[in-house]
Amino acid sequence: MNIGYMIEVFPKLLATLPITLLIIIVSAILGLLLSIGVTYLRLKNLKILGPFLEMYVSFMRSTPILIQLFLVFYGLPVLMRSLGFNMDFGAITSCIVALIVYNGAYLSEILRPAYLAVEKGQHEAADSLGYTPFEKFRKVILPQLTPIALPGLGNAVVYLVHDTSLIFTIGVVDIMGQAKLILANNYGENKIEMYLTIALLYWLVCLVSDRTIKLLEHFTYLKKIERKSKFNKSKVNKEPVSIQ
Amino acid sequence: MFDVGVFLNGILEILKVVPSTLLLAVIILLLAIMLGSIIHLIVQHKVPVLSQLIVVLQSFLRGTPNVVLLYFMFAALPELLTIITGSLGIPFDANKINPVFIVIFTFSITLSVFQSEIIRGAILSVDKGQIEAAHALGYSFWQTFTKVIFPQALIEAFPDFMNSLLLVIKGLSLAYLFTVMDILGQAKLLGGYTQRYLEAFAAAALIYWLLCIVLTKFANKVEFKMREGFH
Repeated sequence: MNIGYMIEVFPKLLATLPITLLIIIVSAILGLLLSIGVTYLRLKNLKILGPFLEMYVSFMRSTPILIQLFLVFYGLPVLMRSLGFNMDFGAITSCIVALIVYNGAYLSEILRPAYLAVEKGQHEAADSLGYTPFEKFRKVILPQLTPIALPGLGNAVVYLVHDTSLIFTIGVVDIMGQAKLILANNYGENKIEMYLTIALLYWLVCLVSDRTIKLLEHFTYLKKIERKSKFNKSKVNKEPVSIQ
Repeated sequence: MFDVGVFLNGILEILKVVPSTLLLAVIILLLAIMLGSIIHLIVQHKVPVLSQLIVVLQSFLRGTPNVVLLYFMFAALPELLTIITGSLGIPFDANKINPVFIVIFTFSITLSVFQSEIIRGAILSVDKGQIEAAHALGYSFWQTFTKVIFPQALIEAFPDFMNSLLLVIKGLSLAYLFTVMDILGQAKLLGGYTQRYLEAFAAAALIYWLLCIVLTKFANKVEFKMREGFH
């Protein structure tokens, strides 16, 4: 083990982290938006579009992300050319498109059960109070949906970080791509230290994203109720003392 | 453009490697379940140093992608083996070790910590009254485990095990990077051979999809049968 080499190579790997982070953030946000659309349409039980959406979700969930990356990388230019657009896509665009399409399906499988887990009585109560559909969603459904969906979304972010480690296979110079370049210059020396450094780097990224999700969970209504009940309990416990 | 002939031919060619991929996945899953049981025992009995080590390992394996771990193992395992065999004086060239063994080893370890969680959940899901009833009937510890806990825990764990099997099958697509031929590796080979990557990958994707659908249907059927057997 050569710890000095690990410290020496760390900044070089860290320099490529922005590309990975960019891909993660863009595909997480756009994937979430797509999945919200997909979930909305799936919940409507459309006659013609419905089966197609189910097929889309099932396909995306049952094929490896690597093959989806390849399909988009090789297939998107062909598709665009057959539609009449003569565009050239970079590897990074292909990655982002593949990850967005994948997450659109994967996250909808998290959001749909979370939506269905909200009790029917809540919908009826909101309707009987005369809420408009948007108000109902924002004030009644969303606050109850978030704490159910957040742990799943947190896992999805971790998986997304894992999936971005594969983009070097289609030629993006991310952390793994950079490592390969350095190793090629080194005649493959210090491989163990290199990959250990990368593993630690990814671990760090995952820990940070896990913490972020935990932080978000702190703002959901469940935690608010918990905090309130704790506060009330402490008040109740003090009351007898004040009477005496 | 899309060549249907190559696509159909690709499906036939790739179907040949499906059995070996499945076999590899099942071997990995069984090894991971065994390791997971050991890990579960260690965590449950709070073995001093090991249980803390496993907590760190769990976080580490959750946080690092499989590709990185595979590359790391392919670099580290032969050297480690050389040191061990060298100190024992066994004439063995660790650099000539079959990559399949390293793939099996790596995936079993990464999967084992998650299997231990599944096993823990399954055992916890068995009603306490069942164990008390077994004690009341005078069952020994071993009898309680084999006749009461294990059959019920297996039903609870089975869907999760099948889910893990699908994860392994999908994860094995990385093995082509290390010259282990699975479905994706075969597709890549075929694509290079015919210079038509898109068709080959589409065929591979279709086979993965069908494989997952068939395995899910099979799992549901088996689970239903198992549940029926106890009522």
